[in-house]
Amino acid sequence: MSIRDRFSRTEATEGSLQRRETVDGILFAVPYMVFFCVFLLYPLLQGLYMSLFEWNPLFPAQSEFLGIQNYASMLQDPAFWNALVNTVYFVVLTVPAMVIFGLALALGVNKKVIGRRYLRTIYFSPYILTVSIVGIVWSLFLSSGFGPINYYLGFIMETPPNWLGSSALAMPVLAVVTNWWLLGFNFVILLAARQNVPERLYEAARLDGAGTWRAFRDITLPQMRNAIAFVVIVQFIQQFQVFGQPYVMTDGGPNNSTMTLVYYLYNAAFSQQRFGYAAAVGYLLFGLLVVVSYVNYRYIGSDSA
Amino acid sequence: MSEATANGRRGILSNATTRTVAVHVGLYAVAILFMVPYLYMISLSLQPQEIAISSVPHLIPPEFTLANYTELLSGTLILQWVLNTFIVATTATVLVLIVDSMIAFSLTRLNWPGQSILLTIIIGSFMVPFYVNLVPLFTTVSDLGLVSSLFGVILPAVANPLGVFLLYQFFRDIPEEYGEAARLDGFSNFQIYSRIVLPISRPILSALAIFMFVYNWNQFVWPVVVLQNQASFTLPLGLVILRDTFTFRPGLFMASGIIASLPLFVLFLLLQDQIIEAVQFQGTTG
Repeated sequence: MSIRDRFSRTEATEGSLQRRETVDGILFAVPYMVFFCVFLLYPLLQGLYMSLFEWNPLFPAQSEFLGIQNYASMLQDPAFWNALVNTVYFVVLTVPAMVIFGLALALGVNKKVIGRRYLRTIYFSPYILTVSIVGIVWSLFLSSGFGPINYYLGFIMETPPNWLGSSALAMPVLAVVTNWWLLGFNFVILLAARQNVPERLYEAARLDGAGTWRAFRDITLPQMRNAIAFVVIVQFIQQFQVFGQPYVMTDGGPNNSTMTLVYYLYNAAFSQQRFGYAAAVGYLLFGLLVVVSYVNYRYIGSDSA
Repeated sequence: MSEATANGRRGILSNATTRTVAVHVGLYAVAILFMVPYLYMISLSLQPQEIAISSVPHLIPPEFTLANYTELLSGTLILQWVLNTFIVATTATVLVLIVDSMIAFSLTRLNWPGQSILLTIIIGSFMVPFYVNLVPLFTTVSDLGLVSSLFGVILPAVANPLGVFLLYQFFRDIPEEYGEAARLDGFSNFQIYSRIVLPISRPILSALAIFMFVYNWNQFVWPVVVLQNQASFTLPLGLVILRDTFTFRPGLFMASGIIASLPLFVLFLLLQDQIIEAVQFQGTTG
């Protein structure tokens, strides 16, 4: 066999190896892609299409084409603006607090404190509750009838606040409840990130005479920048989509003060059967999230990411 | 010079002691605040009805009863809901582990044209809020005849891109040599996947399993939309029904909440070290 023959044989083998790899690669990807295409990609495209119609859920073929009218009438609906303002208010009340408290607890537990294992479990534990339990425990806890908070407040003030029945208080209460419920996620991520900061950086800083504040500002924050950015972005995306808490605790009330964007979308679709309109609301929310994520990414994301 | 340093040290030390005390006080105060709603829940669940609804709240009930628990177990669909939820969470988790690890293997260990486009699409879909898809997903599931079926909850949950992304990050960091050596030994790609990559990835797979199990156990919005008869409900939906049916039975509701979250709490206690470890690993590689 000449060298030349052997050479082309190798090429042929390599070619068939590459074909084998391509075939296997596609075969391995197919199962997930089936789920992805049917239950994510296809609905997403269908939603964009639906948002241009007065969608008839029973006879889709009879849907009336509206163009961008769904978007236009959404922007003219005061209820939409109310829901948008409420949602932004909720995000402002929750996201910074959740990040700051999550960071504070993570840094605290990272120190040599007694019982840190138990503390870790306690801080994380509300996270495993489903939203209906969270909502109902807190509704009872805060109720005027037999809740302990207003019972004890009754000793020091004449009329304790009607927490969930007041337009001014309902949303802040939902924000506090959300902090209690979901803080554990940020806590775990930030704790893990803090434990990845090399201790020698702190030792070096201590030798240079840096105090706690300096070490925090010059080491902890920059080293944890990626994790903090991650948590901020995830929380922005999640809290913009708040639905369960108002659904269970306030029904969007009182006076629509806790009606959020997703609740509004939910009502449009499933109470009023306005599917095309709801899809338009969904796409607007999508657009908002893209913008918010981009802004977050620009301002706090790392240079490397 | 050395004296000054020593003085400085002593100053830092006593500061440090004060700080340590303050940190402990702060952390334990928060822990107590965090636990109060829990204790209230447990306490209410053990109270007889007349004490639970009296206008004087009792954090430590003067009288204990298990009546709420027995009534729930015998008089409601709660066991059915526990079973449904278990089926949903387990099936979805297993499916996610299988299909996500397969595609992640394909994207990281096998070279083929078009894979980078695929990866971009999957990661891009992270930006899609679930609610954009709520309505069209409902029509899709309805076209497939899955309304009020547990599969209507399970199958869309498998499309979640989180696991693909997580495993992609992890598999990418497994050294190339592992696969190469096995390939020279005549291993097929499937054998490399099942006998080498999967066993190495146990920590990240178990972390993903926990996240997916908790997520699917507690899923609320999507099941509200898709499950339309009570016998098919999962726990989060069933709890709302119980609340509405037994309006003035707080003890009963709290007992149902405890039944609903106990499995997850036990799971978390067993696996919490692994969660932190896995996330840490992600932190260093991501």
